[in-house]
Amino acid sequence: MSDQPILTTRDLAKRFGRRTWALTGIDLDVPEGGVTALVGPNAAGKSTLIKTWIGFEQPTRGRVSVAGIDPWKDRSAALAHVGYVPQSPALYDALTVDDHLDLAVQLRPGFDRAYARGRLDQLGIPVAQSARSLSGGQQAQVALALALGTRAEILLLDEPLASLDPLARREFLHVVTDAVRSGGQTALLSSHIVTDVEQACDRLIVLGVGRVLLHDTVANALAAHAVASGEVPAGERIGEFADPGGARVTLVRGAAQAESESGAARPATLEEVVLGYLASSRVTLDSAA
Amino acid sequence: MQRWEVIAVVTGTAALLGASLFVTQQLRDLAAAYPRCLDPTTVTAGCDAYHRAVGRLDMPASLLLQVSWAAPFGTGLVLGVPLVAREIEHRTASLAWTLSRSRVRWLVGRAAFVVLVTVALLAAVAITSELLAAAYAPARHLDSDFTWYGRRGVLLVVRGLVVLGLGISIGAVVGRALPALLVAVFGTVLLFTGISLAMDRWNAAEATARPYGQGESDALALGARIELTDGEVVGDAYLASLENIVIDADGSVYSRFDPDSGLPDRSSLVGRYRELMLPGERYPQVVARESAVGIGAAVLLLLAAGAIVRHRRPGA
Repeated sequence: MSDQPILTTRDLAKRFGRRTWALTGIDLDVPEGGVTALVGPNAAGKSTLIKTWIGFEQPTRGRVSVAGIDPWKDRSAALAHVGYVPQSPALYDALTVDDHLDLAVQLRPGFDRAYARGRLDQLGIPVAQSARSLSGGQQAQVALALALGTRAEILLLDEPLASLDPLARREFLHVVTDAVRSGGQTALLSSHIVTDVEQACDRLIVLGVGRVLLHDTVANALAAHAVASGEVPAGERIGEFADPGGARVTLVRGAAQAESESGAARPATLEEVVLGYLASSRVTLDSAA
Repeated sequence: MQRWEVIAVVTGTAALLGASLFVTQQLRDLAAAYPRCLDPTTVTAGCDAYHRAVGRLDMPASLLLQVSWAAPFGTGLVLGVPLVAREIEHRTASLAWTLSRSRVRWLVGRAAFVVLVTVALLAAVAITSELLAAAYAPARHLDSDFTWYGRRGVLLVVRGLVVLGLGISIGAVVGRALPALLVAVFGTVLLFTGISLAMDRWNAAEATARPYGQGESDALALGARIELTDGEVVGDAYLASLENIVIDADGSVYSRFDPDSGLPDRSSLVGRYRELMLPGERYPQVVARESAVGIGAAVLLLLAAGAIVRHRRPGA
C-alpha cells in the first residue's frame, strides 16, 4: 500500500435537478492499494460519487481525478485505469458467461480473458450457461470477473453485495480481497451494511447526506473511538444512537484509555463508529432545519 | 444482442421478397404468353384473357408495392430503436460503457451491424420491387417514369437508413424501448412529412404547368395552380376564396353559372386550371436528389446518436 492518492475529489458537489444535492463539497484522497469501504445510508451519495469517478456523472462543482486524470474531460483515459461493478449485476440475459468474456475481449483492449475465466472456474461458475440462469451471487461473480479481467489498477464496486445472500457476500469479498492483495490493485467498495465490509477493508469512508463524515484506516477508526452509555467520558462527542437493546449510547472520539478501561466507556465496534457518525450528521441536519 | 428483432425483420423481408418474386414470375409468364397484349393503350383482339389474368394479380401486386414502401420504416424502427434504448433499459449500458473505453466506438460497432443488415435487406426489397413494377407495367420505361415513386428502387434503402438513424437517436434519448418506439413512430411521420414537403417545393420550382388533364402518365404530379385572367399565377387554395367554382373540361375556372343555360357563365371566367408536373425523364435526377437529402439526414442522425450516447447517463 502507498500513501499516494489514486482517487481524489476536491470540493466535489453534485446537484440533480434544481434543488437536490447528492454531494456537497467533498474532499477525498483514496491512497493506492488495499480495499476502501465507502459506507453510508441509502441516498448518501455513494453511487453518485463512484459515478463521477467513471465519468458517468458530471460534477456540478469541484474536481475529481482517477490516477491523475479528470474522467469527465478524458473518460477514455480514466476508464483505462478502472474496472467497475455496478449496483446490480447488469449482464446480457441471453448471452452465456463465455459470451460475456468474448464481448469483453472485443470491447476492452488487453482484457485478460484467461485470468477472468480462471477466477470463474475456481468458483465453479458454469461458463456455458446463459446469464439469466445464474443465481444472483453467480451473476455478481461474473460482473466482478469482468472487472478483474480488465487488469485495471482501480476497482470501483458500487454496492455489489446488496442483493446477495450471506454466503455469496462472503465469497464475493474473498475474491475481492484475494485479487487486490495478490495484484496490488486499489478497490473501493460501497455498501450500506457495515458488517459486510468490516472483514475485508483496510480503510473506511463514511458518507452521510452528501458529506464525508469520517475517512481513516479501519484500525485507526477502531482505536480512536469508544462508546459510552450514561456518563460520557472526556473526548469529542460524535453522535448518539440506540444500541440493539434500545439503550441510548454515545460515540466518543479520543476518550482516554483509562476511562475506557475503567468501565465508563468501552471500545467501539466498526458498526458503532459508523452509526455514531451517521447519527451526528442527522443531528446536524435537524439543527440546520 | 438484437437477435429477435433481426430474426423478425429477416423473416418479414423474406416473406415480402418471396411473394414479390412469385407475383413477378406470374406476371412475366402472362407477358410471355400474350406478347401482343402488353400495351394497355391499344385494344387488341384476343387479349381479354390476358387482361382478366392481370386483373386478378392487380390487388396482390399493388399491395406488395405498398408493403415495399412501408418496409424501410418497419426495418429502421425495429432495428434502430432498441439498439441503445434496450442497453439503457436493461442497465447493460453501464457494463458495456465501462468495459469499452470509447462509447462512440462501442456505438459504431453496434450500429455497423444493423446498418449492414438494413442495407442488405432493403437492397433486396429495392431490387424485387423494381422487378415487380417492371412486370406489372411491362410497357413502361420505369427508369424514366415516376409511377410508384418511393415504392421501388434505391429510395427504399435510403429511407430505411434515415429511419434507422432516427430510431437509434430517439432510443438513446428515451432509454426505454417501447416508449422510444412510440416517439420514433411520431418522429418518423414528422420527419418524412417535412422531407416530403421540402422535396415537393424543390421539385415544384422546376415543374412545368400543363393544361388540365393533359399531363403525361409518367410525370410526377406536384399540385395545381390557377392562371388568372390578368396573368397572375396563384395556388389552388385561391379557389376556396370563391363562393361558387365551376371548372369545365378544358380547365377553365368560372365563378358562377348562367341560370338560363345551366352552363358556366362565360363572363365570369376567373382563370385556367394548370397542373404542375415533372416529366418522367427527370425521374433519375429526382431520385438522386432525394437520395442525397436522405443520406445527409441519415448521417446527421447517426452523428446525433453518437453525441447523445457520449454524454448520456447509462441509466434510464
